[in-house]
Amino acid sequence: MNVNTPGGQRRATALIADDEEPMRQQLRSRLQEAWPGLEIVAEAANGIEAVALAGQHQPDIVFLDIRMPGMSGIEAARLLFNRCHLVFVTAYDQYAIEAFEQGALDYLLKPAGGERLRTTCARLQTLIGQRPSNIERQLTQLLSSQAKPAAKPEYLRWIQAVVGNNLRMISTREVLFFRADEKYTRVQTEQAEVLIRKTLKELADELDPDEFWRIHRSTLVRVDAIEGVTRDLRGRQMVKIRNFPEQLEVSRGHTHLFQQM
Amino acid sequence: MKKNRLAKAGYDNAKSLLDIVREIGDTAAGLWWRFFDWLAQVEWRKLIIIWLLLLIVGLTPIGLPKQTGFFILLSFGLKVLAGGKRKAELEAREATSHADEEGLERRLAEARMAALQAQVEPHFLFNTLALIGQLIETDPPQAALIHQNLIDYLRATLPQMRAKGAGTLGRQIEMSRAYLAIMQARMRSRLAVSIDVPEETLSATFPVMMLQILIENAIKHGLEPKIAGGRIDIRASASVSTSGQMLHVEVIDDGIGFNTHAGDGVGLANVRERLRILYGNRAQLVIEKPLIGGTRACICIPYAPDIFAGSAK
Repeated sequence: MNVNTPGGQRRATALIADDEEPMRQQLRSRLQEAWPGLEIVAEAANGIEAVALAGQHQPDIVFLDIRMPGMSGIEAARLLFNRCHLVFVTAYDQYAIEAFEQGALDYLLKPAGGERLRTTCARLQTLIGQRPSNIERQLTQLLSSQAKPAAKPEYLRWIQAVVGNNLRMISTREVLFFRADEKYTRVQTEQAEVLIRKTLKELADELDPDEFWRIHRSTLVRVDAIEGVTRDLRGRQMVKIRNFPEQLEVSRGHTHLFQQM
Repeated sequence: MKKNRLAKAGYDNAKSLLDIVREIGDTAAGLWWRFFDWLAQVEWRKLIIIWLLLLIVGLTPIGLPKQTGFFILLSFGLKVLAGGKRKAELEAREATSHADEEGLERRLAEARMAALQAQVEPHFLFNTLALIGQLIETDPPQAALIHQNLIDYLRATLPQMRAKGAGTLGRQIEMSRAYLAIMQARMRSRLAVSIDVPEETLSATFPVMMLQILIENAIKHGLEPKIAGGRIDIRASASVSTSGQMLHVEVIDDGIGFNTHAGDGVGLANVRERLRILYGNRAQLVIEKPLIGGTRACICIPYAPDIFAGSAK
């Protein structure tokens, strides 16, 4: 919505989104210097608020910080791209800067001010009234694809185990091996052994198969923790674990894992 | 059916019998190798004395002269033929384990390097500078305060600036205070902080940058992404357990909590590795999810109270 001044001229409107209040104040005062005619209709403290307030006030321009809680500036931009002109404001974000440099959409580095801000304002003044360009859309897509690298399957990285009255988080990097124990699974670390409710089957599905190998129907071992593989007199392969006295048996079906040895 | 079962029972019996035979075989083989190793390493002089003693026993009526003679001949033959090679092998193995120790030292050096390189996040630095710029216009005294905090933080964080004797809990807490003061100025009411560290633990040895990594994690992954913000509590306590006196340093936040699918990053892995190298199994990094939400991280290390701390001042 454009506010009409008594003279019949449209007055441009803008919204500022930044999670840090001092930064919003700063941008507001600098904008007033660089473009006295611009009306700041609202300020948002996070991405969700920015999208909601932009819907409510329909500003011509939205100044978006990139790192914000709840919803980042980039995610917010994806929802706003066709409805207003977007200017990213960031303190330091090399990816964003690289991306912006390829396109026409503007960005400002904090603290924004002086000549740079005036250039941006001049550019925006010529754009007001036009539809946001397609390049903004492309750039927004480019940005969001950079912010979220190709959806790799997310593997379980932390095991939750009840220890005493607390829920302990154990990094998978600490685990030496998992061993099935009826309905439960025993998690062995260098320091302790804990029981968790997950079955070995569930764990095997959720863990990174390159990080953990199944060497037995009831054993999952962390590859990095393996010190070596030996054969005992009965011809069974035994896995020796680093800093751990017990050796683990490799069942016949899994001997191919250590075939080259 | 019955025949089958009988056959199966027979099979099981045979199997268990076979197992027993194998166990005996294993044990005998183990003993033999032990004897062999001993023979390879024992000095000739000692061996000759043992032979002489055996000869004397062998010549008495209870002794078994034939067997004694056989044993002496056998051990002599083995010692001459294979002893040298086996000895070399054993020495080589020992050398390897020395090499392992050296490897450990190298890893310690590497981990120290990583700690030194633990960087000031550029994002943090630029945001703080932008904040100072804004405050110079609107609130100069506050700007001077934040500026001082930034200097304190950088002095403790930049490797080139890191002062000697930074490895006490007191120094680490001071640095965290500076960092948290900056974050509070930026996040305003979204960040509440409480620090509860008993006076007597301040002089205790505490590795550099570990507390800092926990606090930065709490803010970055717990509180910054939470719209309402939250609080961060830092506590230290000493306790006595079976393994001696322990120092616990906790960082508790009520942020959005843990993502079980996120990697544990460079920070926590670095803390864990350094604890392991510095203290072996006596130190621990424990991460918990309290029932009320958020995250609790605790570093437990052996506590050596500085008994001269009081008199030195």
